[in-house]
Amino acid sequence: MEMKNKVMNALKEVYDPELGINVIDLGLIYEIEVDEKNHVDVKMTLTTPGCPLHDSIVYGVKHCINSLAAVKTVEVQVVWEPAWTPEKMSRLASEQLKF
Amino acid sequence: MGAMYQMVPVTFLVSIWSIRLGFVQFVITAAGILSLAASFFIRLDWLPVSGGLTLLGLLIFLLQMVMSMKSQKEKNILFLFVLTALLCLFLTIMLGLLLSISLGFGRTVFDHLAILKSHILLGLAGWFTLLIMGFSYKLVPMFSLAHGFSMKLSRWVFGIYITGLALSTVSFFSLTTNLFTTGLILLFAGFTLFTVHIGQLLKKRMKKRLDKGFLFSLSSIAGGWLIHLSAAAASFFPGQEGLFGRLVYLYIFVWITFTISGYLFKIVPVLWWTYKYSGQAGQKGTPLLKDLIRERSAVIIFTLFAVSACGIVAAFILAHTVLFSLSQALFFAATALFCTEVIRVLTR
Repeated sequence: MEMKNKVMNALKEVYDPELGINVIDLGLIYEIEVDEKNHVDVKMTLTTPGCPLHDSIVYGVKHCINSLAAVKTVEVQVVWEPAWTPEKMSRLASEQLKF
Repeated sequence: MGAMYQMVPVTFLVSIWSIRLGFVQFVITAAGILSLAASFFIRLDWLPVSGGLTLLGLLIFLLQMVMSMKSQKEKNILFLFVLTALLCLFLTIMLGLLLSISLGFGRTVFDHLAILKSHILLGLAGWFTLLIMGFSYKLVPMFSLAHGFSMKLSRWVFGIYITGLALSTVSFFSLTTNLFTTGLILLFAGFTLFTVHIGQLLKKRMKKRLDKGFLFSLSSIAGGWLIHLSAAAASFFPGQEGLFGRLVYLYIFVWITFTISGYLFKIVPVLWWTYKYSGQAGQKGTPLLKDLIRERSAVIIFTLFAVSACGIVAAFILAHTVLFSLSQALFFAATALFCTEVIRVLTR
């Protein structure tokens, strides 16, 4: 659980370069699994299929988790079901988009 | 064409059929267009070679796009918009060839004027407008973060607009005024529905503050709507060739150029950021996309574009040659600033 929280906190440094909001507050991260060998599995989505920044954001997530000292390996899976909706955003992110 | 190489994969989630062929096509088309321009200036007898090169480049482009789009699994309305736009480009090229044959044989082989009018209509309203409409349905929700909107109206936009295109084209050959008026009214109706639909999408947006370049593209839709309205109204009064010439000019200037340049102001930084910084994503200190875009420059450039367009419209109404030249000069200055700004992004 502690490791999962560490991953969550680290991912707050990965920003959608277009919106300037981190992937956690945007609600892009669906699932984080950490096994006993500190192998991390992430299921995430993007706001729009085909987004040209797709690879950059996924790379950012991988790189960020990999840079945590205890992490052995990282797998990131991008899924489109369930599709991202604005309701998945945190209140902070919604507020940020209003300005 | 370059934008198509980016937009087709983004919109249809497919890969470009052959990247290598893309580079070959670029070299052939660039050489074709440059030599074509040189032929007009220096030696007209080079035209068959330079025109042939340009034609070859265009045909490779069409093949590349059709083969890339073929692999899309679920064909949607956007697919229909873009595929029909490509068909219109093909027809425009073929009509262009007929025009050159017609000129070569002293305008006696075909109805030169009907082919010329169809060539202009299908090139501008068929190729450019259908393409901008189709890609706008992808870009507008993407840039404004709109979700939960209906796409039903887009089918009506497509159906009505292409019916308008078909009827107008037939009217050039049948010389039927009523058919021409009906065609232009349908084009106006289709464009009006498109404008309404984009408005509906924007109402569903999450991002309240939109980028200036993107806002300019959206404003150009209003300009396009006014031009369609003017053309439909003018069609009730036959013998207005001069007015239609001016409307075609404004169509290219206000609707096509302004919309594309507004989108480009956003798309170029996206592509450059992906190329330059995607390997540093997630690292502290990596610039965001907005760090590459100078919104203040966008305001200046697009204001100058808008002022020059107003000047040109006023010059047309007042038949004022000096005002027209001044407005064109202002447009040239704004274009130079626009290019400088794009080059600046590429140095970041």
